[in-house]
Amino acid sequence: MKPAPFALERPRTTADALAFLAAGGRVMAGGQSLGPMLNLRLAAPGRVVDVSAADLRTAAREGETLVLGACVTHADIEDGRIAQAAGPVLAALLARVAGGIAYRAVRNRGTIGGSLCHADPAADWVNALSALDASVEIATPSGSRRLPLGDFLTGALATALGPDELLAAVRIPQPAATAGFGYVKHCRKVGEFAHAIGAALIDPARGAARLVMGALERPPLLIADARALFGGAVDADFAARFDPEPADAALQAAGIADPVSRHVHVEVLRRAVMQAAGLQAGRAAA
Amino acid sequence: MNAPLRQVPEGAVAVALTVNGRPVAAQVEPRTHLADFVREDLNLTGTHLGCEHGVCGACTVLLDGEPARACLAFAATCGGACVTTIEGLDGDEVAGELRAAFNREHALQCGFCTPGMLVSARDLVLRLPEADERRVRLGLSGNLCRCTGYVGIVRAVMSVIADRRARGIAPQDGAARALGPVGAHAGDGVGEGKAVSAPPTAAALPPVAVEVVEDFIPAHTFAQSFSLAQPPDAVFAAFADVRAVAACLPGAFVEAEPAPGTVAGGLKVQIGPVAATFRGQARITRDPATRTGRIVGAGADVGGRSSTQGEVRYRVRPGQDPGSAVVELTVGYTLKGPLAQFGRPGLVRDIAGRLTALFAANLEARLAGAPAPAAAPPLNPFALALGALAARLARWRARLTGG
Ligand SMILES: Cc1cc2nc3c(=O)[nH]c(=O)nc-3n(C[C@H](O)[C@H](O)[C@H](O)COP(=O)(O)OP(=O)(O)OC[C@H]3O[C@@H](n4cnc5c(N)ncnc54)[C@H](O)[C@@H]3O)c2cc1C
Ligand code: FES
Ligand code: FES
Repeated sequence: MKPAPFALERPRTTADALAFLAAGGRVMAGGQSLGPMLNLRLAAPGRVVDVSAADLRTAAREGETLVLGACVTHADIEDGRIAQAAGPVLAALLARVAGGIAYRAVRNRGTIGGSLCHADPAADWVNALSALDASVEIATPSGSRRLPLGDFLTGALATALGPDELLAAVRIPQPAATAGFGYVKHCRKVGEFAHAIGAALIDPARGAARLVMGALERPPLLIADARALFGGAVDADFAARFDPEPADAALQAAGIADPVSRHVHVEVLRRAVMQAAGLQAGRAAA
Repeated sequence: MNAPLRQVPEGAVAVALTVNGRPVAAQVEPRTHLADFVREDLNLTGTHLGCEHGVCGACTVLLDGEPARACLAFAATCGGACVTTIEGLDGDEVAGELRAAFNREHALQCGFCTPGMLVSARDLVLRLPEADERRVRLGLSGNLCRCTGYVGIVRAVMSVIADRRARGIAPQDGAARALGPVGAHAGDGVGEGKAVSAPPTAAALPPVAVEVVEDFIPAHTFAQSFSLAQPPDAVFAAFADVRAVAACLPGAFVEAEPAPGTVAGGLKVQIGPVAATFRGQARITRDPATRTGRIVGAGADVGGRSSTQGEVRYRVRPGQDPGSAVVELTVGYTLKGPLAQFGRPGLVRDIAGRLTALFAANLEARLAGAPAPAAAPPLNPFALALGALAARLARWRARLTGG
């Protein structure tokens, strides 16, 4: 199996990468999603701009926000190489998500930025980072812009990224110390893309709950204010009052007609909520 | 002295890397992945190729000491990297212990998976704190073995871990590694500082021949609808103008109207990195009495690997507000050829939903007298578009997930 011929550029800097992109080309980071599409000739770009060795391999902290360069890998996060910038709590919950993505050999090259740009509705970062209220930093020919993840993900496999733009960094706010996080990925075989994803960031101290249902063949279904799923208020025993009805209604409103599919998604969400409450050790990400 | 002389292919670039401890300098085409490079150019055939899209693990090698898929790393992007294939693990202590254990536990039969399996197993031996069966099985889940049933493999790996920990050898945590994809190094020269050349453009391909079959039973169907602030009769009338309607669908184009009610055209689609042009024909029938119509078409991608049939039935009815209309669409499609075995209708619905929204907005603007959108086109849009997209997306996705 051989991809169609392409020209290759390997810029060292974001600025050089943008210059190459201005003349046309497809970005490649870890190549773990683009590679298969090239091998299968589903994608046949004339030029590939490989940014895997560019200046996007960084982890830093800005105030209460973790800023990860687009080319930080799943394995970097799994192993805690970003822990200093992330702090122990955020590092641990991101590591749990990272460890459930694909297989180690894929995680050693696949990047967080590539995952978001690929925008597979069933991808783990797409959903987990939606629950964590992350945003993205985009390098453009004229400078840079920031978008909340919800605005960046415009559809299944679609983003707000222009052809001459580059995802530079992912910004993840530190969750409140009182918040619990749950992430449940439902799949038949370990390491495959999920059939259903539930993610929950719940802070009973502030009465706030942010829930995500994912792997729906559309962008993550975010319930930013999920009080209705807990009888109107999120307090200390929120887990006991989880109400599946509004979640089911949200799925129906999103056009998920199959009741079995809705049932699976609501149940996976419920497990994420239980995990956020610390009630279920649960295999977060396999 | 019988080695064939290898011609340097057109467009090859220079790459320098280390393979099994030896420096290698070569000219490779950018499209050559690392597994093909070590097998074909270096004659290191211990690296096996199964799926070539990351799922089976047969090609797993070490890149800078860490496991990576050789089928998903292009050799030209590995400048400066240290590649270790199974041949390079002959003298490796852990690999030696694993070989003995694989032998003892009958952890292989045909051996096809074994090179990749040993590379992944070695990584687990180095990293896992203890011989935990669940973690060993999870860690081996990316290496498929169709012979052994895994029991012997798991036992072998666990025994080596237990033995080494008992000997006081601590697990490694990878804390010292640099961030970023393994094997990616700046400064190898490829593409750096060169003038930006125009990317090669694909040569124009001749049109594909397809046959429109009126009666077929679609494998997948779904419904969509949208509202317009225009009277139903005006909307239905607008649907009669094939070129105008096609102009409202992004990526669509009309090439000819060979006979009344027949249109030849196509659709360019771009979803993520997938760019494709589908061409075909459609037949259109309309019934003004019921304000309904049917477009039935067939198309194939330019490479001719996949073909699709589809139909769109539409009905224009009055909307809730006076002078408004609702357009109801029923879309059905069937795929033929190698793509037909995969299907992921939900994804198609999402894409169809977005196309429909764009189409509706453009149509609305057009009916309201706004100028036509800059680029767009054909009527059979949905049939061609959806079948094609369904096929392509479902296919790579199904392959990726091994489903
Ligand atoms: C066998 C297998 C199983 C997998 N299982 C899972 C799974 O369970 N869960 C999961 O979430 N993922 C899974 N993946 C996908 C994996 O996580 C990929 O790493 C990820 O989707 C893409 O990251 P990448 O760095 O490899 O991107 P690439 O493949 O290099 O690029 C992907 C896309 O994003 C674009 N892109 C990449 N980086 C940038 C950038 N900085 N700016 C602009 N555009 C960019 C590219 O142009 C391309 O279109 C799996 C992959 C494989 C091969
Ligand atoms: S050949 Fe590389 S993973 Fe199957
Ligand atoms: S031994 Fe035959 S595939 Fe594993």
